[in-house]
Amino acid sequence: MKIKLFILIVIAGSCIAKPDLKKSVVMIQIVQQPFDYTTPWKQTSISQGVGSGFIIEGKRILTNAHNVADSRYLIVKKENFAKKFPAVVEFVGHDCDLAIINVQDTTFFEGTEPLTIGGLPQVNSTVETYGFPMGGTHLSVTQGIVSRIQTDIYSHSGADGHLVVQTDAAINPGNSGGPVMMDSNVVGVAFQGMTKAENIGYMIPTTVINHFLADINDGKYDGFGSLGINIFDGLHNESYKEYLGLPADVQGVVVTSVMLNSSAENVLQRNDCITQIDNYDIDNDGMIVIYGQKYSLSEGIETKQIGEIVDVVFWRDGKKQSAKLKVQLNRPVFEFARLYDVQPPYVCFAGLTFVSASRNFLETWGREWVRDIPHMLRYLMMDSQTLNTERDRKEYVVLSQILPDQINLYDGDFVNRPLESINGKTVMSLADVRREFKNKDLDFYVLKFMGSEIPLLLDAKQAHQQNDAILKKYNVPAWTYPEESL
Amino acid sequence: MTKTQTYTDLLRQRLTRINSGIFLSIILLFFISPNVFAKDISEKLKDSVVYLQVAYYGYEQYQPWKNVELSEGFAVGCAVDDNKVITIASSVANAAFLQARKADRNDYIPAKIVTLDYESNLALIELDSNSLGSDLLKPLKFNEKYVKGASLAFYWLSANGQMYNGRGFLDRVEVSGSSIFYSNTLTFVAAGISESTNLGQLYCLNDKPIGIASLSGKDKEADIVPAEVINRFLDDAKDGQYNGIAMKGFVTSTLIDPAMRKYLKIPNDIHDGVYVADVFTIGTGSDVLKQGDVLLAVDDFAISPYGRYQHKKFGSLLFDNLITAKTAGEEITFEVWRDGKRQRLEAKTKRFAAADMLVPWYEFDTQPEYAVIGGCIFQKMTKSYLTGRGDDWQGKVEPHLYNYLVNDAFKPTPQRTDIVLLSYCMPANINIGYHQLSQLVVDKINGMKIRDMSDIPAAIASKPESKFIVIEFEMDKPAIVLDRGQLEAAGNSISQIYGIGKLMNINK
Repeated sequence: MKIKLFILIVIAGSCIAKPDLKKSVVMIQIVQQPFDYTTPWKQTSISQGVGSGFIIEGKRILTNAHNVADSRYLIVKKENFAKKFPAVVEFVGHDCDLAIINVQDTTFFEGTEPLTIGGLPQVNSTVETYGFPMGGTHLSVTQGIVSRIQTDIYSHSGADGHLVVQTDAAINPGNSGGPVMMDSNVVGVAFQGMTKAENIGYMIPTTVINHFLADINDGKYDGFGSLGINIFDGLHNESYKEYLGLPADVQGVVVTSVMLNSSAENVLQRNDCITQIDNYDIDNDGMIVIYGQKYSLSEGIETKQIGEIVDVVFWRDGKKQSAKLKVQLNRPVFEFARLYDVQPPYVCFAGLTFVSASRNFLETWGREWVRDIPHMLRYLMMDSQTLNTERDRKEYVVLSQILPDQINLYDGDFVNRPLESINGKTVMSLADVRREFKNKDLDFYVLKFMGSEIPLLLDAKQAHQQNDAILKKYNVPAWTYPEESL
Repeated sequence: MTKTQTYTDLLRQRLTRINSGIFLSIILLFFISPNVFAKDISEKLKDSVVYLQVAYYGYEQYQPWKNVELSEGFAVGCAVDDNKVITIASSVANAAFLQARKADRNDYIPAKIVTLDYESNLALIELDSNSLGSDLLKPLKFNEKYVKGASLAFYWLSANGQMYNGRGFLDRVEVSGSSIFYSNTLTFVAAGISESTNLGQLYCLNDKPIGIASLSGKDKEADIVPAEVINRFLDDAKDGQYNGIAMKGFVTSTLIDPAMRKYLKIPNDIHDGVYVADVFTIGTGSDVLKQGDVLLAVDDFAISPYGRYQHKKFGSLLFDNLITAKTAGEEITFEVWRDGKRQRLEAKTKRFAAADMLVPWYEFDTQPEYAVIGGCIFQKMTKSYLTGRGDDWQGKVEPHLYNYLVNDAFKPTPQRTDIVLLSYCMPANINIGYHQLSQLVVDKINGMKIRDMSDIPAAIASKPESKFIVIEFEMDKPAIVLDRGQLEAAGNSISQIYGIGKLMNINK
C-alpha cells in the first residue's frame, strides 16, 4: 500500500509540467539617473545595474519598480541568447515596488514561456528563487522555505507597507524582480533583503502582484488606497473599552484622527471604535483573519482598488453603527514616500530656489538624515497630518538653496526653512509661490518662514530685473518647472 | 653696501641687524611691560585661595525618585570675606555636601552655599566659623582691569594643600554664555594657558585678581568670569537679598539687508538698529518691546545692525551686556523704530529663574517633579530631560517636544507654565494596553487643562463621580483611561514592585 502511494505521488508529480524557467526569466540591464532634489533642474550621476524579471501573460515582463526607477535606458536579455533588446517601462507602482516593462521587438518573446501567478504560500513550504544575482551571469536558482508572512515596509518607497513573505532562500543584489516559484507557479517577486541578518530575504506576495495587475487593467496605475484614518491598535485596557462604551466581548481599534479630505471625514471621528471591515472582525491588536491567517487590518483594505467601497462597522457612544467608505489614495501633505521618474517641480526666482518638501529632498542630508535635518523639516515630516489644518494644502514648500547674487546676499539664514507665506498669503503649494512672484505691482515680496518671525525681503522691481541674469549665470533652464511665463 | 660685498656678507649683516632688533625688544619689554613675566604670588595667596571638595547627589532623569550615584568633585574658592569664598556655580550644582581646605591646614572646614546665581555662574560659599576659628581668610579685591594681550597667572589649591599656578595671556573680551545657562555675560578669554581651567581658579593680572575661571568649551582657551561680574554679584548679595542679573526677554537678528531696512522705512541717515525677531513673556524688555521693532539704542548706547555697541573700556561688545551687567529691578531705556518713528521706552530690568521658563533650560539642586498615576510617569519637561537622550539628542527627541524647547521655552503664560509629559508607563495590570505610550504632552486630565505639574493632583481628584481617570494628550495621540477605583491599590503595588518610595513629588 505504501509503495503504491509513493508511485502515485511520483506519477502525479510528473504530470505537472514544470516550466523551463530559462524561457521565462530575463535579465534587465538599466542605466539610472535620479534627479537632484536640491538643485531640481539637474540630474545626479549615472549608474548602471542589473536586475531580473519574468514573462507573464500578454507578452509583458514583470519586475521590481526599483529595477526601472529613474531609468534612462533599459535593455532585457534572455538566458543563452546573445541579443539585447531595448525595453520601455509601461506601468510602474513605486508604492508596491512592481513594474511592467515591454519589448517593442516581438521576436524577443519567441520561444519564451509566460509564468502563471499562484497563491499565497504556506509558512514552512519550500520555494525557489530565480534570477541573475551577483556572482555570475547565468540564471541562478536558490531554494529555501517560507519563514513568515506579515505586513512590512517596502524599502523602495520607504513608506508604504504591504504584505511581505520572508524566506531563507538567498536573495542577493540582481535577484530583484525575479520570480519565486512553488509548484510551477509564481508565489512572489524577490525584492529586498535584510542587510544585518543572514538569509533573510523578502518577496512580494501574489496578493500584492494581483492588486497591481488588476489596477493597470484600465491603462493606468492608481496605487494602493486607504481609508484616511489613524488608529490606536492596542485596545487592551478594559477601562478604556468601558469608557468608550464598548461591550466587554467587542474588540477593535480606536480612531485617533481622520485625515483632511478623506472619505472618512465627517463619517468617522476620534474615539470611534472600528470593529469590522467588510465582514472581517478586527481584534484589539488591529488584526483580521484573511487568507486563513491573522494579518493587519490594512490587508482587508488592500484587497480593494481605489474607488471601491469598504463596509465599516464601528461603535460610538455605546452604539453600534455602520458606514460605507470609499478607498482613496490619501497621501500625506508631506510625502514620506520616495519619489521617482518625475522631475521635481521648482521655482527659482531672484536666485531663491524653492522645492516641495519631500523625502528625496531630506535624504540629501546623507545617511543620518532623520537625525541631521533641520528641526522644522523633521517636525513637518513626522507630524504633518496633525500640524496641517489647511484643507487646500498640496505640499510644504522649502527654500532649498540660494544662487548667490547681490539681491539675495543677506538671505543665507533662510535656506532649508519651510515657507509659510508670501505677502501675508499662506503658501500651500509651489503654484502659490509662482503666482505671488508673478504679481509685479508690489514694492516688496515679504516671505515668512515657519518657526520664525524674521521675514525675508525682496525688492520686487530689482528681483524681476535681475532674475534672467541670475538664471543665465547659473545655467538654470527656466525660472520654474513646469514651465510658465513670469 | 659696496659692490664687492658677497652674498654671505650681506646675510651675516642682515642676521646681525635682526639679532640687535630682538635684543632691543627684550630690553624694552622688560621696562615697558613688566607684566610679561608675572611673578609667582602663590605664597601671598595661601590664605585667600581654598580647595573646595564637593559631593554631588543629583537625581536620575527618567526615574526621578532615585538619586544618581554619589560622586565627588572639586572647585577653587577665592576669599571675598574672612569666612566667605566665591567659586563658579556650575562646580557646585547639585552639591549635597561641601567642605573647604586651607593651604596651611590639614583639616576640612564644613561649608555651605549662601548665594547661587547660575546666570552669572557664581556661588558665594560660607565656611563654618567655628571650624575656621581665628584662622580667618584673607579677602581678595577683584580689580576691574583689562589689558589686551597682557600676561596672566592663575592659581589654585590642590587637595594636598599645595598651591599651584599656571600662565596664559588675556586674549580678548566677549559677551558670551555657556551651553548650559541662558544669559550672555561679560567674559574674558585667556589664551595660551598652560593648563585647562574651568573650576574657579583665580586669575591675576599684574598680581591683582581680575576674575575666576569659568566653564569653557573652547580649545586651549579659558573663559574667565571678570571682576565686573563678580563685583556686581557681591554687591547684590551683600544685604542677603539677592536680586540677580537682568536677563534678556527678547531675541534680535541682524539688520544689514538694505531691502529689509527700506521695507521697515528706516531713514537713510539712521545706520543703527537690530531687528526684534521675537519677544518672550518673561525677562527684560518683554513688557515693552514688540516683535518687529528695530532696537536702535539701549540706555543711549547706539546698537549696530550686528547687535553691538561701543563700550568705553572694552570697545565693541554684544549689546546683551547692557542688560546683563545690570541688577534686576534697575531702570533701562530702549529706543526703538516702531510704526515709522523713533520711540523711547522706559522699563525695569527683570530676571527669571530657570523654573519660570515653560521649558527650564536646567534644573539643579532640586528633585525633578514627577507624579506616578496608575504606573504612568508624568514629568515636567526640561532641557535636561531632553538632553538625557544622549549624544545627538536634538535629532532623537520627538519633534513636538523639541519644538516647545526651541520656540516656546521662554513663553510661559498664565494658562501654561509647564509642559507636562507622560514619560512612560511602568507596566502593571492597571495600565495594560498603554505600555508603548511615551513622550506625550499632556493636554487634559479629566477634562481639566493642565497648566503645570501642580494641577495633576487636583485634576485627578476632579469628577469624583466618574469611574474613570481620563488623560488626554496633544497631537491626536490615544487617551489613557484608568479605573479610579483601582488607582490607590495599584499605586501601592507599583510602589512596592518598582521600589518607588514616593509616588509624587510636586514642588508647588
